Amino acid sequence: MGKLATEMLKGTLEGIVLAILSSRPAYGYEITAQLRDQGFSDIAEGTVYALLVRIEQRGLVDVEKVPSEKGPPRKVYSLNDQGREYLEEFWRTWSFLAERLEQLREGGN
Amino acid sequence: MATGSNEPKSRYLQYLEVVTGSLEEKKRYRHYKARIKQLPENYRIAVEAVERYLMHFGPADGAGAMAMYEDLADLFEQGAADGTPIRDIVGDDPIEFVEAFMANYPLGQYRARERNRFTNAIARAAGETTPPQDRTE
Repeated sequence: MGKLATEMLKGTLEGIVLAILSSRPAYGYEITAQLRDQGFSDIAEGTVYALLVRIEQRGLVDVEKVPSEKGPPRKVYSLNDQGREYLEEFWRTWSFLAERLEQLREGGN
Repeated sequence: MATGSNEPKSRYLQYLEVVTGSLEEKKRYRHYKARIKQLPENYRIAVEAVERYLMHFGPADGAGAMAMYEDLADLFEQGAADGTPIRDIVGDDPIEFVEAFMANYPLGQYRARERNRFTNAIARAAGETTPPQDRTE
């Protein structure tokens, strides 16, 4: 993944993570692995983790500690109502942005 | 996050803590240190490097700072258990990771407060009367 993609990803990572959590609850490593599978190969687990801590503090997700076979319990994150609301707003903003960019590409303004 | 007992502290303990700082936090810090010691060596080295970096940005005490260290230990313990390579945890740009991490805790909020103060000072110098937006996020 190029530098430009990494830069563009930064602003949208929060929405991407919330979107992933909207389909089902997940823990940090699962989310990172899913992002990697989708081609975001440069994404660091620590960055995703810091983001999860942040959205937890902002009350967008619920957290449950689930014991794991190896290692310490895992924090499983699930989207709550407030998170769903935020995600909807994210998609609205994204549609707006994507539309404007498409217009620019087509040479209009 | 609830840690320790909720029993009211004795008067003696209250006075003692005025002098020594919170004993509960010291206990949590020692516990964190013990967890770090258990990590495989390269993970331990990485955590200690993160810790050293964080320490540079001011006194990291208080319950908020302890939550920060405990979350840090959680991340690296999980990484070690999953066999996640260090680079996959901290990324190509460790500064970016550590800044994003720190922003969530009092240490980072202290930085945000200073940024706000700076932004406001420039706004005043520029003769702008409307208070600038809160940029703590």
